[in-house]
Amino acid sequence: MPKILRIVLWVAVSLLGALALATIALHRGEQINALWLVVAAVCTYTVGYRFYSGFIAAKILVLDPLRATPAERLENGRDFIPTNKWVVFGHHFAAIAGPGPLVGPVLAAQFGYLPGTLWIIAGGVLGGCVQDFVILLFSIRRDGKSLTEMAKSEIGPLAGLIAYAAVISIIVILLGATALIVVNALKSSPWGTFTIAMTMPIAVLMGFYLRRIRPGKVLESSLLGFVLVIAAIFGGQWVSQQPSWAAIFTLTAPTLAILIIGYGFAASALPIWLLLAPRDYLSTFVKLGTISLLAAGIVAFRPSLHMPPLTRFIDGTGPVFAGTMFPFAFITIACGAISGFHSLISSGTTPKLIRRETEARFVGYGGMLAESMVGIMAMISACVLQPGIYFAINSPAGVVGQAPETAAATISAWGFPVTAAQMATFAHAVGEQTLFNRTGGAPAFAVGMAQIFSSTLGGQAVMALWYHFAIMFEALFILTIIDAGTRVGRFMLQDALSHIWKPLGRTSWYPSILFTSALIVAAWGSFLWQGVKDPLGGINSLWPLFGICNQLLAIVALCVSTTIIVKMARVKMATVNTGRVKTPRVSAGLPEPNHASASPARMQSLGYVFVTLIPLCWLVSVTFTASWHKVLDPNPRIGFLAHANQLVKAAANPRLIFNDRLDAAVTALLVVMVTMILIESALVCGRIIAGSTPAVIRESPYVATRLTLEEQA
Amino acid sequence: MTIPSEAFAPARSGARNRRRVFAAAEVISFIARVLSVFAATLREIFDESAYQRFLKRSGIPSSSVAYAMFQRENNQAQARRPRCC
Repeated sequence: MPKILRIVLWVAVSLLGALALATIALHRGEQINALWLVVAAVCTYTVGYRFYSGFIAAKILVLDPLRATPAERLENGRDFIPTNKWVVFGHHFAAIAGPGPLVGPVLAAQFGYLPGTLWIIAGGVLGGCVQDFVILLFSIRRDGKSLTEMAKSEIGPLAGLIAYAAVISIIVILLGATALIVVNALKSSPWGTFTIAMTMPIAVLMGFYLRRIRPGKVLESSLLGFVLVIAAIFGGQWVSQQPSWAAIFTLTAPTLAILIIGYGFAASALPIWLLLAPRDYLSTFVKLGTISLLAAGIVAFRPSLHMPPLTRFIDGTGPVFAGTMFPFAFITIACGAISGFHSLISSGTTPKLIRRETEARFVGYGGMLAESMVGIMAMISACVLQPGIYFAINSPAGVVGQAPETAAATISAWGFPVTAAQMATFAHAVGEQTLFNRTGGAPAFAVGMAQIFSSTLGGQAVMALWYHFAIMFEALFILTIIDAGTRVGRFMLQDALSHIWKPLGRTSWYPSILFTSALIVAAWGSFLWQGVKDPLGGINSLWPLFGICNQLLAIVALCVSTTIIVKMARVKMATVNTGRVKTPRVSAGLPEPNHASASPARMQSLGYVFVTLIPLCWLVSVTFTASWHKVLDPNPRIGFLAHANQLVKAAANPRLIFNDRLDAAVTALLVVMVTMILIESALVCGRIIAGSTPAVIRESPYVATRLTLEEQA
Repeated sequence: MTIPSEAFAPARSGARNRRRVFAAAEVISFIARVLSVFAATLREIFDESAYQRFLKRSGIPSSSVAYAMFQRENNQAQARRPRCC
């Protein structure tokens, strides 16, 4: 394409994106079409990918297509496999896209659509994508090392230990918070409970098909499973209409919590692979299908947003979760904007599959852009609902009242009119007994999705089916995360405990398996139980806690990235200044990339550290402020300790008081640990910049690729 | 001297047809490539490719026993694989 045409094209894309952003930011008083959000996101992502990620790839990371990746050098047909970039992209996206980008934006919609949308777009392009891309590349250059290993080797042993503790904490809190979402989605819902219960025999059937009938044909069996799950959704409707059957599947929140805790333990401790592996495949199949369907639905039906751009709850009095827009909007939306958990994937399976360095940009940066788009779609799903209905679903009984009339009156008094009769009609339309107090985000997302599709595909008649399809989809893949996460946590715990007593580290020794499984399940189960018993809905305390953990892990990842970039810049400056330090490229006899030669340009390479330093500073300010509020804020709806004091005065159950104090202690401990990493990282960087410590980059040795261009293509 | 345009008509039409056929073949080949990459992505996500690699590495044909062996080998690695929130 001629250069002038390219310039015109990119100017047009930028202007369109700016127009869309201005429209969603400045429009007041009238509803806007959801397509404006999509256009703003797509244009910003396109420009971000083309220019910002290109700048990072060329100037900072200096991606080298001639350098062999670990997938090529260590190819073993199991973990290290040079793989087509599109295939790796799909694999990476399937691993990073969980319920987070769906639930977070739905909860943050209580502030209106604007704060969350802007954060998803800006946070994604400038923060999350950069983190995923940079960590992926650094892991590739270190033979696929994990984040904790990189923290240990590049910053120090303490950093490695803290990163390890942060990962275990985040897994535990994540499991507790997501399990609570399932409980809130399925409580008093015979239809939903029956459908999810049916996924277990369906998975066993898929396992039988995979083992006995068509060994290894996972796609076929997933398709079969999908058809059966759809049948189970119809079956759920029948069950909900039969009083005797409905009574069996109408479960309370504590009962569901006990069942999920038992399921998590069984999944971790018992050899029930016939159930787990097929369900994992089924869940991925449904997840990818539903996300694609939702994207197509939003573009095809172009719904209007009923939620205003900003609501009165930016002042911190929100019913969904308490806290002001800053910092809580940025904690609530983690996946979709920036998520520390992604750094585990970017330094896990993905770096072992990348065929050449230049593909890290597409997979790391591009994969996160795709997830960010999922966050935008979730925001749209929440904001197409009438605000009154949105708040009726997401507000806990402790805030709006137990009786439908009281809740409707409270919400209407906030300026979001809704009536008990309207909610009853709506609940009937989606096949539920009630939609009041269904906190957690999943039911609101399901209602929004059902509304988008039912407006054209099948009309109101099939709204209940769409709703239960969405609930099934969310619950299915949250349960998959619970069983996989419990096992990952159990292995990590076994690794850690093996330093105390060797046999505890043996993954095939049953007493150790039972003991560590029980520890992990008890840890996340206690958070779940606390959420179930919380009169404020549980999600009010658990989701911000999860967000804080997730962002603290992102701080760890950005600390590691910043330290490595500082070291790279110093090595580059030393190379150009003295010619003594040779890059691996030079020692391998390959031409040196055209680095800057003039003095200001040399200094510029150190200035490039801003790409990770700016998101790091932002996350530190957000996360530390949020942590301060969650621990010390005098408002009992926000501060854990203030809430505990309130309970003490009311002579409440000591268990509830203990829970609040535990949450405060966990938050404070994590903040202290991450502060230690920050200080250690800053000291390492300071010493390197001052020249008192040599910059040692612990990359694997340079090896030129043997893959021909044709093989790479 | 001017040459009447009709004189070139059959030749032009033939060239145009060839170009069309060529363009259609290119489009079909592009779609086939896209579909094959899509199928490969799904096979990789769903471990079908991993199973094929296992069979190749082990030198055994696909069977229920082979699949059970593959699952046993993969279980440990899968259990340690992080999955995001």
